[in-house]
Amino acid sequence: MSHIEFRDVEVTYKTGLKALKGINLTIPRGQFLVVVGLSGAGKSTLIRTVNNLVVPSAGNVLVDDVDVTAARGRKLRQVRSDIGMIFQTFNLVKRSGVLRNVLAGRLGDVPAWRGVLGAFPREDIAYAHECLGRVGIPEKAFVRADALSGGQQQRVGIARALAQKPSVMLADEPVASLDPPTSHSVMSDLKRIAREDGITTIVNLHFIDMAREYADRIVGMRDGLVVFDGTPNEATDKAFEDIYGRPIDREKDMRGA
Amino acid sequence: MSDQSHARPLQIPRPPASQVRNRYALLGGAGLSVVLLVVVLITMNLPTWDRVMLGLRRTLPPLWRGFTNPDFELFPLAFNAMMETFYMAVIGTLLGGVLAFALSFLAARNLLGGTARAMPGKALLVAVRTFPEILLAIIFVAAAGPGPTAGIMAMGIHSIGFLGKIFSDVIEGIDPGPLEAINAAGGNQIQVFFFAVVPQVLPEFASNLLYRFEINLRAATILGLVGAGGIGGPLLQRLSFRRWDEISMILIVIIGFIIVVDAISSRVRRQLV
Amino acid sequence: MAPDRPPQPPVSAGAVAAVPTPPLAGRLKGMLALLIVGAIVVLAYRQTSFDLEALFTGAADFWRFFGRLVPPFSEVGSDWGAYLPELVGPLIETLQIAYVGTFFGTLLAMPLIFLASANTANDPVTMWIARTLLTVLRSIPDLLWAAILVPILVVGPLPGALALTLFSIGILAKLGSETVESADPGPLEALRAAGAGRTATIVYAVVPQVAATMVSYILYVFEINVRASVIIGLVGAGGIGFTLQTRLNFFDYTGVGLIIVVIFAVVLIIDSISVWARSKLI
Repeated sequence: MSHIEFRDVEVTYKTGLKALKGINLTIPRGQFLVVVGLSGAGKSTLIRTVNNLVVPSAGNVLVDDVDVTAARGRKLRQVRSDIGMIFQTFNLVKRSGVLRNVLAGRLGDVPAWRGVLGAFPREDIAYAHECLGRVGIPEKAFVRADALSGGQQQRVGIARALAQKPSVMLADEPVASLDPPTSHSVMSDLKRIAREDGITTIVNLHFIDMAREYADRIVGMRDGLVVFDGTPNEATDKAFEDIYGRPIDREKDMRGA
Repeated sequence: MSDQSHARPLQIPRPPASQVRNRYALLGGAGLSVVLLVVVLITMNLPTWDRVMLGLRRTLPPLWRGFTNPDFELFPLAFNAMMETFYMAVIGTLLGGVLAFALSFLAARNLLGGTARAMPGKALLVAVRTFPEILLAIIFVAAAGPGPTAGIMAMGIHSIGFLGKIFSDVIEGIDPGPLEAINAAGGNQIQVFFFAVVPQVLPEFASNLLYRFEINLRAATILGLVGAGGIGGPLLQRLSFRRWDEISMILIVIIGFIIVVDAISSRVRRQLV
Repeated sequence: MAPDRPPQPPVSAGAVAAVPTPPLAGRLKGMLALLIVGAIVVLAYRQTSFDLEALFTGAADFWRFFGRLVPPFSEVGSDWGAYLPELVGPLIETLQIAYVGTFFGTLLAMPLIFLASANTANDPVTMWIARTLLTVLRSIPDLLWAAILVPILVVGPLPGALALTLFSIGILAKLGSETVESADPGPLEALRAAGAGRTATIVYAVVPQVAATMVSYILYVFEINVRASVIIGLVGAGGIGFTLQTRLNFFDYTGVGLIIVVIFAVVLIIDSISVWARSKLI
């Protein structure tokens, strides 16, 4: 059963740059999809069309058969509150506490006045704590976000996305700012949670070994087009060299576990 | 609360006491400022509501008529007065700049070789900045008679405080590398000054001088209210006679002039730095 | 010259000719700018008939006038000492005006800040309207606001407080929207992606980033307002400036002198407190 569907999606930025040149993908429910490609290939743009942070100039993106591309205002916010997102730079409010950052994930579901006053229902607060527990940092709830290490900050980012009770999770280079061991533990947390909750997940990754290790399916992008679509087993070094359009650099592209 | 929480009491970790205290302190501060506002409003010598409404009923209709029909015949006079204001601001800023330039070297720690030696200079700058320029203008008008000279003097002296502080900050922030390099190449102190200090500080100085000019142009429009030259004089006359059509014309000239000069000045400043 | 210096290659005439010259356009632009500034200064000097010479020759008169501001030493107690208590009331009124102006100025500036900042604005049209409003508010100095408002409202602290309110909105919203626009856009994107509403996005993603700076700006505006509130009385807007105007009209120069000293002291004290508080904040 298809959960997310890209139909001839094209994106042309105001600068004239064609970031996506006609993408067609169907992603079944619960799949853990990894998108690989060099920077500038259109990975970030692709992921952002799913929650309409980037509006396609042609084509549509459907989530649960709802056309995200056409959604506006309240409807769009409803769609977005069902889609969690994790960022390369974490995008936490550094001067706020961890719990408040996680609760921000609930803002799409609570009435506006509750959000503005910070008067969340007890269930929501309890759930935020639960999310922190699931990413392994329950004790950090009342610490300021900027007092955490990079790995912990990304865990808060995951907890915030999780607090939305999403059916879709988008992760844009979630480990690019982290060191290799931390990257792996964050990725395995992400995968575990996606599995447990049956969340359909799209992750942009730069590193080959991680894509092979965690993905159910790998999509390779080059120049705004899908140039590879297959299982991790099919994603050989040769396939990656085609995606990258150059020989693989063991040092730069692999990142040893 | 929903009845759900009644059925299943939730275990929520409590924030540490220090954070709870901070939150109450914040709320208390906000509450206190509101209470203070109420106290101030009650004790303030405010006119009664009826009195204000009476005044508004009397002034608003003619004011509306005047502001919707600016007296364009006054334009030449207003424009000339604004030009005088502009010129006052130019000379006042320049005067302040020259004086501040001299003083700033006396307040810069790195050139004097010590915090203590820079103290008297810094204190002088703070004192000058604190003194409202309109008071200086009053003093100069009383001492030297009304006219632009009094206004220029007031602006010039008041600007010393602002410019001197910024100039000395800029000098304290210069990169010592080039100084060392010129010294190492066998340059004398004058050469060090012109080849290492001046190039580093000149753009910042010029940019801040322009910024001060923007401030002084606004200030110059009001100096006329105490007889120190510029457009404030003709404006005050008309305010006391409530000639709203002429007042609106003068205000249009002031606002338009300031917006245009600001736009030009900020563009030049962006180019400088 | 050091005697043990290695021999230098001789500089040939050909090498000199090959030295590239800086682009002509750049130099011309610089020269033109200097020329324009020079012309404006010369013109300004003539038009204002600013006379440096007269200033030096008149300096004696000037200092004599300063002397008249201060009573003879033996009478300081009886003159200034007796007058000082009369200044307490106007001084309190001055601070009241500054407080009310800062309070309402802050309150009204808050929504305008977010409407006028590119990253939090509703739509381009309201942003443009808000920015224009702020530009106009800022282009009129505080004393001028007071002078315009006094004939409309009743003479006294009311027009003063309103003048400072309007003026405060202008500065605070300008400083505030600069801060808001320089805020980290990451959290904004994250909250938008989570489906949060506009107000909630501002409260959660922007406010925590700018709050400390904003409080510091509010204190700064209060400083400015104290300085302004001591003088707006000159045009009838209440406070100690009004007393100053009366003393000036009576040519009571020792009274004027005392008021100037008191104003200076109050502004200095408030400034120091505020500067200290601001240094604690950041």
